[in-house]
Parts: sequence; structure tokens; C-alpha cells
Amino acid sequence: MTREGLPIAAYLAMLVALALGAAFVAVFAIVIWLPPRPPDVMRADIVADQFEAGYTHARETGEVLRGDGMAWRLQREPPRSGHAPHMHATHMHLARQLALAPEQVRVDASRVARSDVLVFRVREMRSHMPGHQAEVIIDRRRRAPEAGEETPGEETRSQFEIRIPEPPPRVEATPPVPPAPPIPPTGPPMFAPAPPGVVLVAGFEIAAQLPDGRWLVMRQGRNWDELGWIASAATIIGAALAVLSVLALLFARRLTRPIRNFSDAVQAVGVDPQSEPVREEGPSELRGAARAVNTMQARLRALIADRTKTLAAVAHDMRTPLMRLRLAAENAPAEQRERMAKEIGEVEALVASFIAFARDDPAEEARVRLDLSALLQSIADDHTAGGRNVSFAETERTVVTGQSLGLRRLFANLVDNALKYGATARIALQRSDGVVLVDVEDDGPGIPAEERESVFEPFVRLNHGASGAGLGLAAARAIARAHGGDIVIIETPRGAKFRVTLPE
Amino acid sequence: MAPMSQPASRPRVLIVDDDADIRAGLAEVFERAGFKAATAGDVAAMERALAASGADLIVLDLMMPGEDGLSACKRLSGRGGPPIIMLSALGDDADRIVGLEIGADDYLAKPCNPRELVARARAVLRRAQEGDAGSPADAVRFAGFRLDIARRELHDPDGVVIPLSAGEFRLLRAFVERHGRVLSREQLLDYAFDNDAEVFDRAVDVQVSRLRRKLERPGGAEIIRTVRGEGYLFVVKPSP
Repeated sequence: MTREGLPIAAYLAMLVALALGAAFVAVFAIVIWLPPRPPDVMRADIVADQFEAGYTHARETGEVLRGDGMAWRLQREPPRSGHAPHMHATHMHLARQLALAPEQVRVDASRVARSDVLVFRVREMRSHMPGHQAEVIIDRRRRAPEAGEETPGEETRSQFEIRIPEPPPRVEATPPVPPAPPIPPTGPPMFAPAPPGVVLVAGFEIAAQLPDGRWLVMRQGRNWDELGWIASAATIIGAALAVLSVLALLFARRLTRPIRNFSDAVQAVGVDPQSEPVREEGPSELRGAARAVNTMQARLRALIADRTKTLAAVAHDMRTPLMRLRLAAENAPAEQRERMAKEIGEVEALVASFIAFARDDPAEEARVRLDLSALLQSIADDHTAGGRNVSFAETERTVVTGQSLGLRRLFANLVDNALKYGATARIALQRSDGVVLVDVEDDGPGIPAEERESVFEPFVRLNHGASGAGLGLAAARAIARAHGGDIVIIETPRGAKFRVTLPE
Repeated sequence: MAPMSQPASRPRVLIVDDDADIRAGLAEVFERAGFKAATAGDVAAMERALAASGADLIVLDLMMPGEDGLSACKRLSGRGGPPIIMLSALGDDADRIVGLEIGADDYLAKPCNPRELVARARAVLRRAQEGDAGSPADAVRFAGFRLDIARRELHDPDGVVIPLSAGEFRLLRAFVERHGRVLSREQLLDYAFDNDAEVFDRAVDVQVSRLRRKLERPGGAEIIRTVRGEGYLFVVKPSP
């Protein structure tokens, strides 16, 4: 992989090329490696012999033959008679053999070929299966037609490679079929002209009337060799598909992993601007985006640094005179000193809330796993130790992921708010459906329905006599939302009830 | 009040602040409380004063022209100087944590109650005199727990933060720093509660039972033992 990375289009083009390549290899393997698909071609004379045997069997037993590769059946109606000129000889031969009138015999075939024009490539002998199904494979080579003969049917355009079983001994044949040419049992395929006069037939149906008037019908059975061929072809296609899907999966992962990493990294930057810069990897488009995000992050960091510096200066400039005042108050008489201290304290609280709100970056603090019930308990205890009435209904340990200081400020702000408007604050914690609910309730005058959203806005105070800048609830909600939760106000008979939801 | 006739017992405090009024005001407050106060306007002056006469305690401003308080604090605590109380215009929890983590013994935000500053100064001096707690470690470990001194947080054996109230923190810190010794309720009151707060022995018991519950783990060992009629004993030995 180069430093710049490839564009996504290149990845896609590669994937498409890969898919095409796999498809091509599969097709190629089927065409080249697999023998051609065996057609269901049989020799007409052998078919006739088989029918004769089956007919004899049916006439003697009343049963149809089974297991000879043909589909036999008995029926009352004569089957449709087809027009197969090349089968005429076979037809007449059968009628003679079965001692029936020609119209008592029906011969039909969808494909018939005179084999004189064909070249057979002999592969092996299958003498143990005399003539059941001639295994014929289409050969691309063509021999010049002999004697200008053109046979009907689609096979005329191609030639057959055929494994010819030895013809069984025949009682009488019309036309007489000479013995097949000498064939070596094994070895490389060789070519031999078809025995003259052999008729090849496929998709045939032969029927003859039995003495009881019913018709015995023989159809060509299922070509199992063909099924084997289909299975082989399917295996090749399946293998190609499997290889292709593995490759596509690897490819997709290679392409999407950087994207996923990128989105994670960007998310991390969004939560914490001090996080690691996004790694520039993957396709070139993504690298560009990563660079942009990194530039943005650097700017964000600079901005935060500026703000921190400004706030520190503001804090220093405001608190130094307050400290001077506080020290000066020490020299005042006790009564005045306390009053001054109280006023200074209030100004300081305002300054603190402004600075806290301005610097408030809920993202800055690291997140830890934290026992929320212990946190709420400690807030209540701190207030109780200071003589204020804050209670927490103790619960079992409830661990959430969040910012330790942030969450403390959130709940401390809510409790401070409750104590500003009421005399007591009650904190309750409950869990439901993967969220943690914390209710902070006071016994104050409550919040009018139309104010329930605006209290969360900065600088909004319901009671203008109350101290504070009106930033506590705004900050609390900002913290809750930064944690993936929220704060809402719940209807309650008296006082105000704030409900904080936090994801567990 | 320490009378002038006992100069040896007067702890020497060095006040470092860039604001002259604050320097003078703090010096006055400390003198009145029985300290011997010296002042310095910046870090360089502080170094000169330390080299000339030394100090038992430094009250250090954070933001000063020249070298700031944080880096001076880091340097001083690194070489085992006197205990430091940081007095800063940055009053956030986060600022306090940074100050404590960098080696300050205590941290107060301006404007503070001068008498609270003096009380804290006494507490820091007492801890320093008690020896082993002289320069507090950032964190103490015991029985799988970790007490983060700067953050005032307890981490349980699973790494979950167990927030502590101010009282619980002080109590636990007192226990940890005096482990293996039976502490009476009076001692605990003294160590762990604000001097001016109205607390009773009963409050210590309540606080201890709260703390115990936070330290309780199924199958965990006993950490705080009740010694009948005497007080409490922190049984486990903490390690830094």
C-alpha cells in the first residue's frame, strides 16, 4: 500500500475484476476441465431391444419392468404418435418382433440423428452395461459430412464423442447393424467413424399394445450421468463462489476497517479533543478526511488552550481583589467582618459559577466507572455535615461510566438548586431498563409548567432575590447530556422534582 | 497563642504571592496566629529566602509572573523541601487535583477564609511532624483498594471509583496514615473533622460505619476493626 492510498473507485474496480475473474475461471473450468455434458442419446436398435424385452416381461407377468434405466408404465389410451422419419425402420422392426400390427406400436422421439455423419471418440468400453445409455459427448471437431448427408436435428451442427458399448447380440436387425469397429478398452481417446446405419435417439417414447388392450409405454429414464455432470459443474461454481465470497469478505474488511477506525477516532476526537490524532490509513479519500479532522483537532486544541489561558487570567484578576478584601475584613470588628465575608463569599460564588460555566467542557475529563450511589451518598453527607437537610435513600451499588468531577458537579448543582428554593432536598436513585434515574426533589414552591424548559437556560433565575447567576441547572444539563443522558422536570404535587437519566 | 518568649516553637511560614497587599495581609494573619512569617514576591525571591533562612511551610500562589507556582511546587517537593499549601485563584476541583498531584500538601482557592488557611497550615505541619506522612504519596493501596489522595477518591479492587464525602476521606486518610494504631474517637474527631464543626463521638461511629460499608466486599478481609472501649484500628498495611 502506498503512502497516499488508492481511491475507493480503485478498490471497487479491483473487486469487480476479481468477481469477473472468478466467474471466468469457473466457466473456464467447466468448459475445459469437465467433459462436455453428456446428452441422452441412445442407439435406436438397442432401445428397440430393450423395449422388446420389457414388452415380453409385461405380457408374461402383467408387470412393468423396473430398474433398467427406463420409465415404464401401463395405460388405457394409446399415447400420442410422433413423427420421427428416421425411426421408421425401428418401428417396423419392433412391430415385426412383437408380432403386432404397425399401428399397435408407437414410436416417438424428440431428437433423432443418423450417425453416419458423426465421428465417435471412443473412450472406454462399458460392456457390463450393454447399450443402456450410450455416453455421448459433443466434440468440437467436425468431420466433413460424408456423401453430403445432413442429418436432421440439432446434433447436425456438432459432432459426438461417444463411448459406444458393444452392441448386444441381435436376433435380427433391420437394417442390419454391422459390428462396431474394434475399440481398445482403455487408453487415449481415439476416433472411429460411427457404424453405418446406426440411429441415435433421445427423448424417446415407445409404446405397444398388450394383448389385454392396454398400452405399455417406455420412456427414456433419467440420465444419471447427466446429473453427475451437473453436480460437478455445480461443485465448480460453488467453489468459485466460496473463493469469491472469502475474497470479497477480506476485501470488504480491508476497505471498511479503516473507515470504522476512522469513525471511532473521529468520535473520540468529538468527545475528547486531546485524544490521539486520527491515523491516516486506508483509501486516499479517507486519508484526506483524516487529515482534515486532524487539522480541525489541532485548531480545537489551540482554541481550548486560548480559552483556558483567558479564563485563568480572568479568574486571577477577579479573585485577587476579593482576596485582598477578605484579608482587609480580618481587621474589621467581628460583626462587620462576618457580613463582609458573607458578601465576598457571594461574589466569589458568582465568579466561580461564571468561570465554571465558561470553561465547562464536559469532554475534558476522563471517564471512569463510578459507584453512583456512593457519589450521591457523599454529596448528601457533605451537606448534612454542613447542617443542611439533604437525604439520600440508600440503594445497592450502582456503577455507571462517567466523569467523576462532572457527575459530582451535576448532582451538587441540583442539590444546591433544591436548597436555594426549599429547605430540604431528597435524592433517590433507581434503575430501569438500562438507564439510571436520579430524582432530586425539594419542598420549595415548585416550578410553573411554562418555565420548565427555560430554567435550564443560562442566566435564568426564577426567584430574582435568590443568589447565584442562574448557571447551575444549565451546567448540570450540559453535563448530563455529555454523558448521554438528560435532565427533565417531573410533575409532582409540591416542590420541584428534577429527574436525571443516565445510561447504565 | 504562642507568646514571644518561645521563639523556637514558632513555625516559620514563607508566603509567596505577587500581590503586595495579599502578602502583607497573610503575613499579618499568620503572625497573629503565632507563626513567624516571611514573604517573597516571586519564585526567585522565594528561593533566596529559603536559602537564607529556610521555612517550615510555604504558602504558594499559583499564578505569578516569571516562574509560576506549579513548576516551583514541583521542583520543591521533588527535592524534599518544606510542605506547601497552594493558594490559587483557580478554584476548580480540577485545578485542586492538579495542584495536589504535583506535590502540594494542601490547596486552597482564593478568596479563602484566612483562619481556615491557618488551620490547614497547622494540619499540614502536624502531618509533616508525624514523620512518615511528611510528603504524602499520590495514592495509597490497601487490600486491593487505592486511595487517590489528590482526587479524594477511592478505587475499589475492580477499578470502580467510590466517591467519598469530605468527612469519609479525612477519616480514611487518618486511618491509612496511622495504620496499625488504635485511634480513639477523640483523635479521629481531631484528625478527621473540621475543628469548628459541632460533632460528637456518635458522629465518628456513623462516619466509620459508612466508610466500612464502602470498603465492604463479599469475602473481603476486615479493614477497620472496632476495639471495644478504645476506638478503631486500621488493620491492613497500606503500601504506596
